[in-house]
Amino acid sequence: MAEKFDNLEEHLEKFIENIRQMGIIVSDFQPSSQTGLNQKLNFMITGLQDVEKCRQQLNDIHVPLEAFEYIDQGRNPQLYTKECLERALAKNEQVKGKIDTMTKFKSLLITELGKVFPEEMAKYKAIHGDDPPS
Amino acid sequence: MTEIFSTLFGQSEAQGPQGPGTLGFAPGKPPPLPQTQAPAPPQIPAQPGDEGPAARKPGVMNEPFYLLRELPAGNDLTGNTNLITHYNLEHAYNKFCGKKVKEKLSNFLPELPGMIDCPGVQDGSSLRSLIEKPPVCGNSFSPLTGALLTGFRLHTGPLPEQYRLMHIQPPKKKSKHKHRHHRPQDPIPPAETPSDTDPKKKKKKRDDDPERKKKKKDKKKKKNRHSPDHPGITGSQPNSNSLR
Repeated sequence: MAEKFDNLEEHLEKFIENIRQMGIIVSDFQPSSQTGLNQKLNFMITGLQDVEKCRQQLNDIHVPLEAFEYIDQGRNPQLYTKECLERALAKNEQVKGKIDTMTKFKSLLITELGKVFPEEMAKYKAIHGDDPPS
Repeated sequence: MTEIFSTLFGQSEAQGPQGPGTLGFAPGKPPPLPQTQAPAPPQIPAQPGDEGPAARKPGVMNEPFYLLRELPAGNDLTGNTNLITHYNLEHAYNKFCGKKVKEKLSNFLPELPGMIDCPGVQDGSSLRSLIEKPPVCGNSFSPLTGALLTGFRLHTGPLPEQYRLMHIQPPKKKSKHKHRHHRPQDPIPPAETPSDTDPKKKKKKRDDDPERKKKKKDKKKKKNRHSPDHPGITGSQPNSNSLR
């Protein structure tokens, strides 16, 4: 799987380098640079062809749109991954807290109900049996 | 509206005593089952993995608990488990959350030329606009022929000032030494003249704000152009000619 990313990365690096060199030629153009510019233009088109060939290998790759927001703002997209992990952990802890609280409440409720309604709770435990710890 | 309530819950009033605060809800005790009727259908559906029919007999066993339901099947994976450990994401978590991740996009893509830290909305290079309005293009890329290449004949001379900043990279803070020959093709503006090696200008280049550096470079360009002592190297930089 990493190979197809490496392949795409290599093509993109060459493409970007080609574009950068075209920008240098254009920034201070001379008549003798025309041939080189034409060559770079065709290199750019072949670069786009190479990138398009890589597309078929990456059809199963999905990128979340939220990551694009970070890129558009000029921010590191790894911050999106970091925030996802932090949010997941925070939510995990929150849910665990709820589960622990409900478990304690359940055991407390059963205990108190056993004091108030001993016969009914005995029947309840006979029906449900010993509930497994959650 | 009250008539509807009375018709719906009128039977419950006749059947049994109402507890306080019922307000039309069903009475606390269930109505006694008539002997002629068959026993009520099991309220607890049988589920796989059940302990056995003995513990789940409907009707008689559940009589005081007519609303008793089967406990839901316990899921192995709940919020009680550390999901990051479960999905083997500890390494990723330590990598992204343990260390400080740099804020700028240029830290993620250091080799990418141009001003990539600026928002894409400013210069129309946002990915969002590309998704919302994809460019209209053909199905394949074909190389440019001679006739098409005639459209790319350019005028000689440097670019206008408004277009020059597009390819200038932000100054890298790591390289304190002047390794500008690392990329000899970079079109460094006339600030590369020997006059820039003065110590005063070296001190000025220690500013942390890249925008100030650009403004200073622009001012230097203007000064160098208008100064009579300037040798007039604006169009013939040795670095820009290295590609030929």
